[in-house]
Amino acid sequence: MIFAFDFIILLFLIPVAIVALQLKDLLAAAMVFGIYSFLMCLLWAEMGAVDVAFTEAAVGAGVSAVFMIATIFNTKRNSSD
Amino acid sequence: MKKLAGIVVFTVGLILLYGVSSLDDFPSWGTPDSPANKSPLSQYFIKNTIVDTEVPNMVTAVLADYRGYDTMFETVVIFVAGLGIFAVVRVFEHGGASRVVTADTKPDIIITNTCRLLIPLIQLFALYVLAHGHSSPGGGFQGGVIMGASFILVALAWDLDIALKRFSEKQAFICSGIGILIYAGFGLASVFLGEEFLNYGIIHKILPGVDSPEMARYYAMLGVEIGVMFTVTSIMFLIYGLLATRGKMTAGL
Amino acid sequence: MEIVAATLILLGIVFFFGAVIGLLRFPDFFTRMHAAGKGDTLSTVLIIGGFILYNFSQGGDAANWNVLVKLCFIAIFIMLTSPTSTHALMKAGYESGNDPETLDDEEPEEKEENVS
Repeated sequence: MIFAFDFIILLFLIPVAIVALQLKDLLAAAMVFGIYSFLMCLLWAEMGAVDVAFTEAAVGAGVSAVFMIATIFNTKRNSSD
Repeated sequence: MKKLAGIVVFTVGLILLYGVSSLDDFPSWGTPDSPANKSPLSQYFIKNTIVDTEVPNMVTAVLADYRGYDTMFETVVIFVAGLGIFAVVRVFEHGGASRVVTADTKPDIIITNTCRLLIPLIQLFALYVLAHGHSSPGGGFQGGVIMGASFILVALAWDLDIALKRFSEKQAFICSGIGILIYAGFGLASVFLGEEFLNYGIIHKILPGVDSPEMARYYAMLGVEIGVMFTVTSIMFLIYGLLATRGKMTAGL
Repeated sequence: MEIVAATLILLGIVFFFGAVIGLLRFPDFFTRMHAAGKGDTLSTVLIIGGFILYNFSQGGDAANWNVLVKLCFIAIFIMLTSPTSTHALMKAGYESGNDPETLDDEEPEEKEENVS
């Protein structure tokens, strides 16, 4: 574990998580959620859990973002909350 | 109300941070005497995986052999998720959704040609991830997701109809069932040969060219992962098709 | 060899910096995508080239050749997919009614830039 690398990823991770929850535009929120998944993937790869990181990269950053965008395409784009 | 929720979240986060950082119960990263490492189970896995199963990657061995039940029912969970989305979203011609969104633009020539070049390579990489999961990170779930993503890429670059010509809805459901049947079939084969369910070592009696229980475990793990890949690939493609077309399964996105 | 590798990586970071500045400063969608697409591709390929050279300079046993081939594949795929995805984004933006900025409406946009 390299401390500086870990620290930088965590520093990015927390604002990205907050922004993904706070955005009203759901399409942008789905994009930011993809970024969150990618950062988690980096964090896991860096801590040595390469299997988990691989799954996160394939499922979290790849397919689930596509699912969310496909769902938003067919529903409302703006959240009322 | 929102401020109250914020205060609650903040307080719980502070308590969690305190628990993680300042109490001695939580081991630091990578220490050899952490509770997870000291337990006899993980010591057994670290020492005996290569002896028992000839698989260098411990994660795959634990996932597909020592905890075979867990992985089998994970596959069933994915299958049931696909069935659930099908039951909720799918509409047929009579009745149905009020508005069908269609992408009325023609497929773009640059995108389709790049996809024509890339999709075979993506599928080859998915098969590599599946088959090489014994000695490097990977396995059925990851390979299945990558393979499903290649079909989703066909649907995104051209049209869902063209993707459905390659891999229709009925075929996808049949494939997802076949995946679970392959997994359970390996378990049942070991039952019929006189061992417990999903205890693959005995299969070396019927596999040609395999004479030791260890290699039988190796090959049975590969077969089980192939089953997982069948299910995950087809369910991923089905979920995409259902979500992108409001359950019409024609001419969307 | 290591100095050349370090130079390539630094050059890649400089191009990344240019891409980010372009992404933040350019006026409309198409010019922003232009900066992001071009700078991203070139700088990633440069950085991976630096990695390849650094890896090559550490001695030539079999594992290093393995890494070299994998890095070459990554560079090739990035050169294939990054411009294509930029093109797809541009086309989607054009079709959803995002007109490119022309000389006619430069004046009010200048004012907006100054205000912000």
